Amino acid sequence: MDFSTEITYSAEQEKFRQEVSVWLSENAQIPAEFKIPRETGDMSHELYNWVREYRKKLGAKGWLAPLWPSEYGGGGLSVDMAQVLEEELSKRKIPAIYDNRLAAPAMMVWGTEEQKQRFLPLINKGDVITWQAFTEPEVGSDAASITTSAVRDGDDFIINGTKVYIGGPFSADYIWTTAVTDQTSPRHRNLGAFYVPADLPGISFSDMELIVNVGKRFVYYDNVRVPGEYLVGGENQGWQVAQTSLEIEHGAGGSIGEGASRDGGVVAALFDYAQTAVDGAGNPLIEDPRIRDLLVEARIETHIVELIALRNYWMFNNQKRMTFHGSQNSLLRKLLAMKLGNIVLEVAGPYAMLNDSNWAPSRGVFESHQRQAITAHHPGGSSEIQKLIMARRLGLSRSKEEAAPTKVA
Amino acid sequence: MVDLGLTDAQEMLRNNAHRFVQDKCTREVVREIDESERGFSESLWKDISEIGWPSIVIDEQYGGMGSSLTDAGLLFEEMGWACMPSPLHSSSVLSALVLQQAGTADQRQHYLPLIADGNRIVAFAFSEPGYGWGPESIHTQANKVGDKYVVSGTKLFVPDAESADSYLLVARTRATDVSGSGLTLFIVDKEVPGIHVKEVSGWTGDKLYEIAIEDAILTEAQVVGEVNRGYEVLEPILDRGTALLCAYMLGGLQQMADMSVTYSQNRIAFGVPISTFQRVQDMIINIVNDLEAVRWTTYEALSMIDNGAREQDIAEAVSMAKIVASEGFTRGTENAHYVHGGVSVDMKYGLYLYTKKSRTLFSYLGDPAYHKKRVASLMFD
Ligand SMILES: Cc1cc2nc3c(=O)[nH]c(=O)nc-3n(C[C@H](O)[C@H](O)[C@H](O)COP(=O)(O)OP(=O)(O)OC[C@H]3O[C@@H](n4cnc5c(N)ncnc54)[C@H](O)[C@@H]3O)c2cc1C
Repeated sequence: MDFSTEITYSAEQEKFRQEVSVWLSENAQIPAEFKIPRETGDMSHELYNWVREYRKKLGAKGWLAPLWPSEYGGGGLSVDMAQVLEEELSKRKIPAIYDNRLAAPAMMVWGTEEQKQRFLPLINKGDVITWQAFTEPEVGSDAASITTSAVRDGDDFIINGTKVYIGGPFSADYIWTTAVTDQTSPRHRNLGAFYVPADLPGISFSDMELIVNVGKRFVYYDNVRVPGEYLVGGENQGWQVAQTSLEIEHGAGGSIGEGASRDGGVVAALFDYAQTAVDGAGNPLIEDPRIRDLLVEARIETHIVELIALRNYWMFNNQKRMTFHGSQNSLLRKLLAMKLGNIVLEVAGPYAMLNDSNWAPSRGVFESHQRQAITAHHPGGSSEIQKLIMARRLGLSRSKEEAAPTKVA
Repeated sequence: MVDLGLTDAQEMLRNNAHRFVQDKCTREVVREIDESERGFSESLWKDISEIGWPSIVIDEQYGGMGSSLTDAGLLFEEMGWACMPSPLHSSSVLSALVLQQAGTADQRQHYLPLIADGNRIVAFAFSEPGYGWGPESIHTQANKVGDKYVVSGTKLFVPDAESADSYLLVARTRATDVSGSGLTLFIVDKEVPGIHVKEVSGWTGDKLYEIAIEDAILTEAQVVGEVNRGYEVLEPILDRGTALLCAYMLGGLQQMADMSVTYSQNRIAFGVPISTFQRVQDMIINIVNDLEAVRWTTYEALSMIDNGAREQDIAEAVSMAKIVASEGFTRGTENAHYVHGGVSVDMKYGLYLYTKKSRTLFSYLGDPAYHKKRVASLMFD
């Protein structure tokens, strides 16, 4: 076994790292005039456009989807090379925009060759933004019970319904959506998955106001005529198709390197705070045994989640059989976020809630994390749903369930 | 014979208070106040003042109701249930009790009737950048020069400082030693030069402020109580204020239980109300377990105060209640978020008001770590 993600690199890897690094120093310099907000929904249009252009340039090199075959817009890289790439990318701290690649794995598994040729390069090269739209006002966890309808009319489908908590900042080119294609078929055999062009007549949006501004909104479909070529995976296969997307969203693919636990820098900020702040009597916090325990707890919990993410990365990319692993990654990450939020509150007290320019530690990382941790509990399925999936995959439920197919290469 | 029930009069007090907050302090009203610049509503304050809430613990001779803390607790519980923002706790509990306990006859005659009527708001300016609630946390210095005091320092995380007309200011006049805390309390009207109030922004349950004090000149007439023995006056009052804060948190937690029960019974997933899922039931049971722990530790502390228990025993009971309330309220909002799913982070739904309130009150008047130390030293030292 070898856990090192950084220690031994081949000459070939080092050469590639050099190439990536040089390229990034030319292309990944955010112009100084852009203010980087903490939340994507607060991005200026200029910054957003810059990030999109940057992603297109990455995409053109195949580096948005490094492990994907190049015929579908990927980089065709080996895991070793992709790892080096991830490491270099994570050093640059380019603000993330909505993860618009969620539709790609499902398209790869379920799409026709024609759809794959047409859409995958667009997604993988960053040419289009896709929003995933499964949730409805009355239906979240039970994603199979949606009511948005897609009624066949000749070669087209007429879609009606409302989706919630959708999207990211600004606009999308496609909406990856589920709808009922067959009102009479039983559950799990009645849905279709559509890759809907966002500019079709009858689609409208309205903003939501969440405690974290990530640009979420309502999507309304009002008699939207969607040509059949946008149906992915066949008329009653939508549930199976969506499962592939969700499997990936849960974290089956794992992650590697810095930030694998997706803690948003809160642990680093916590260590920093504890090493500089003093208590009421003027004693350094770092001398307090209780604080030291809490810091180590934060480190251990975070490290476990990093290792789980690394495990999934290794399993996923080496074609190991995965069962509960994706949902476990998601579950542990969600629980970690809450735990870290509580540790920060215990260590930093009222400072945990500040974004004040004078008084907030690490420019408000704590405050933002408090909101993020609570918010992150829901996207991609709540903790309870992850537990439900784990239980099924472990054979603890009435029926044993296999993981949805996700293989890319 | 043990009797944990409320009297008829107390039932009525609570029911009236409940109706009042349901009517005047809806979730929309709270959101509006929360988003307003000062986090304060003149009209709500006027309504509260009309029904006498700012006078609840002030003695009758100063125009107050002179109620027991248990009675006051019922009001705070209802305020907490509604997540009502108001300076009532700082002004009419902490500051008023200090003035009532330790103020000169002039100070009492002047301030207490005004506070009781809601015509004067007094913020309680204790905490500082090195956050803590013991005397050692006070570094704001008041130096005697002739018959005046020259005061400099920084107060931080002070609620209500903007809407206040005056401050109850805690400053150091000597080092803490065996002879006493070395702290002195001052009552300061807002117009004093050298005092600057600035909002400290964040995701806080109440708006919090920095009070920067630079060579502010105060007179002997502004000293409340004995010089150098300020914390001796404060400690029992902080206990009373903390017990009422626990009652507020209890109300907030009750709301978490109420919202979670109702929502889970009405939200359908997989063809059934989510309240029928054992995982969801677990979350709500956890809330209710925290709720009852907070309820009875808080009631016990309040009742000990009303029944004249020994100060040391009161201190222990109050600190235990605050530990339970800080942890329980924070965890209760977390569980309520789980129960509700996505809608819990939708600002329109308003659950977040309780979330950020719980995290702000977690530390206010002492976090669990502070109170655990206090209980341990009362028990073992
Ligand atoms: C910030 C954010 C971003 C999001 N982004 C997207 C997006 O891009 N696209 C999209 O389609 N959706 C998105 N969502 C929606 C998200 O997927 C749902 O909120 C989530 O699936 C939960 O659904 P719900 O909110 O309807 O809660 P509900 O399904 O109503 O669940 C309420 C509670 O019941 C529990 N529960 C439900 N079923 C069971 C069960 N069988 N056993 C035990 N407990 C159960 C849940 O765990 C939860 O505690 C987002 C949500 C948020 C908050």
